[in-house]
Amino acid sequence: MMVRHLIVGGGTAGLNAIRTIREEERLSGAAGSDITLVSAERPYSRMVLPYYLGGTISESHVYTAQPAALTAWNVKALLGRKARKLDPAARTLTLDDAATVEFDDCLIATGSRASKAPIAGADGPGVHCFWTLDEAKEVVAGIAPGSRVVMVGAGFIAFTILNAILARGAKLTIVEVLPRILPRMVDDACAGIVQAWLQDHGVAVRTGATVTKIEQVGGKRKLSFKKGEPLTADLVIMATGIRTNLEWLKDSGIEMAADGTGGVMVDDHLRTNVTSVYAAGDVARGRNLITGAAEVHAIEPTAQEHGRVVGANMAGRDVAYRGSLLMNIVEVAHLDVASFGQWEDAKAEVYAALRAGRSEYRKLLFHGGRLTGAVICGPAEAVWTTNDVGMLKGLVYSGVDLSAWKGHLKKNPFDVKPAFIATRTTSRLLPETILGRPSQSPELPHTVAL
Amino acid sequence: MKVLALHPEKCTGCLRCELACSYMQTGLFQPSKSVIRVSPFEGYTSYAPYTCTQCAEGWCMTACPVGAIQINVAGAKDVMDDTCVGCKLCTIACPFGTMFYDGDTQKAYKCNLCGGAPACASACPTEAITFEEAETADWIGDFAAERAGRVLAVEAR
Repeated sequence: MMVRHLIVGGGTAGLNAIRTIREEERLSGAAGSDITLVSAERPYSRMVLPYYLGGTISESHVYTAQPAALTAWNVKALLGRKARKLDPAARTLTLDDAATVEFDDCLIATGSRASKAPIAGADGPGVHCFWTLDEAKEVVAGIAPGSRVVMVGAGFIAFTILNAILARGAKLTIVEVLPRILPRMVDDACAGIVQAWLQDHGVAVRTGATVTKIEQVGGKRKLSFKKGEPLTADLVIMATGIRTNLEWLKDSGIEMAADGTGGVMVDDHLRTNVTSVYAAGDVARGRNLITGAAEVHAIEPTAQEHGRVVGANMAGRDVAYRGSLLMNIVEVAHLDVASFGQWEDAKAEVYAALRAGRSEYRKLLFHGGRLTGAVICGPAEAVWTTNDVGMLKGLVYSGVDLSAWKGHLKKNPFDVKPAFIATRTTSRLLPETILGRPSQSPELPHTVAL
Repeated sequence: MKVLALHPEKCTGCLRCELACSYMQTGLFQPSKSVIRVSPFEGYTSYAPYTCTQCAEGWCMTACPVGAIQINVAGAKDVMDDTCVGCKLCTIACPFGTMFYDGDTQKAYKCNLCGGAPACASACPTEAITFEEAETADWIGDFAAERAGRVLAVEAR
């Protein structure tokens, strides 16, 4: 009988797992297995929703696998269905319509959802999250040129939609409870540059501002603060954090951290404590490449790599995962801001430099000769910003020995390129592959031989 | 597969490759738009070109959330303009610093081997860039290590 794979969650991790299973079958010539996808939503990419909001792509562009594609991939798709109960011993999943799905192996990839801070009135009309496609549609409908938009929360998610809100002609104010913006993505110095840049580009920023309540006043939203004047908004976006979608695994016997809010415990093959059950993406407490610690990295690249590793293992290969590198990049009003690895580390040796007039910043964090983290910011039109972004990733990822270059980089943290090239980082990186083989073109599903 | 082989000891730093590349990639003779980049070494006394190796992992390709990077007929990873949304994820995924972003089109772009007839190799007057059947490699690491090593030794004095 054909092996029955069950993928729970149609996001980045789930779709990468499915594509990889079919890739492995094509490469090995194995018979096509039976794949069932259970997904609460039609598969789409959250990463590109900001471009839908900004009006540069249409809705059809956000879908990662249309129904016809899933058919061509020979995937039985149960869309609009939610997982309710996993029984690992019986190898069955019960859905919200009481149907059950039997499986031989299963991937838990239900991702995370936006979580509104507990503020009175946050559930009222005109107060939205921006996480799902449906939420994106609500925000699109709620913004017109000249609209006053208040974003609560100044983290990465908030910043990914900043350009789109401005492109729609809205007036934007960002409020953040902490004393500075991007608290979990960059350090104080970089946050200061970004904040000044935003204010120069017409975005108001209020830090250290605690919203006490949101009221509906004359068809608008009135936000009150612990200190300072209230704000009036046509639309409020709550970007106040995310939480894992793991409630359905309660009592399943799947081992999780902090009742599931800390993710599913996994080994180096992304296997859970239960045989033949894997976890990937935002719900997986995977290995941090730099520290070796188990933690959730709720970022797109980790979901992709997790999904591919699980897909290969489900297809019968034996692929261990080195771990994921924490990394983020966001462009705000033509300023690139990125960080890699352990960029906040009191035990690291830190070299940083700022070119204030040009809004350029580099911060390098070392343990011995190894670069373990980096922060970078600079104007997006500067080609060296983009080049340095990639090279810093390569240096942190490869762990190449930079001992001979530390003196030079201490004097000039901007001079990353010669250090990258002369330490032969390229030769360290070339043999590296996630799946132990060359990657395949992400061909359209209809080209997959079954 | 035919790859761009780089021979830094033959590079004179004339930047013809950058002009040819930028024209092929963006229609402008503008070195800042080139995806092959010539770097100076040892106080601008020697030069080496640097570009995408078309690595086996294809970090840019696997990172793209919409499958906009595919392998073209020349075996190069190539950005499909009509699919790319400009999210820049490929620029942090590529560990070589060889992904680029065009602010005018708001799309990512990279070396696509010009579909099999690389303009940089044709434009190079000294055969410092050749298009040949070979394993891809760290073409300029040893050269850079030698040149930079001398500079670092002076700095350390």
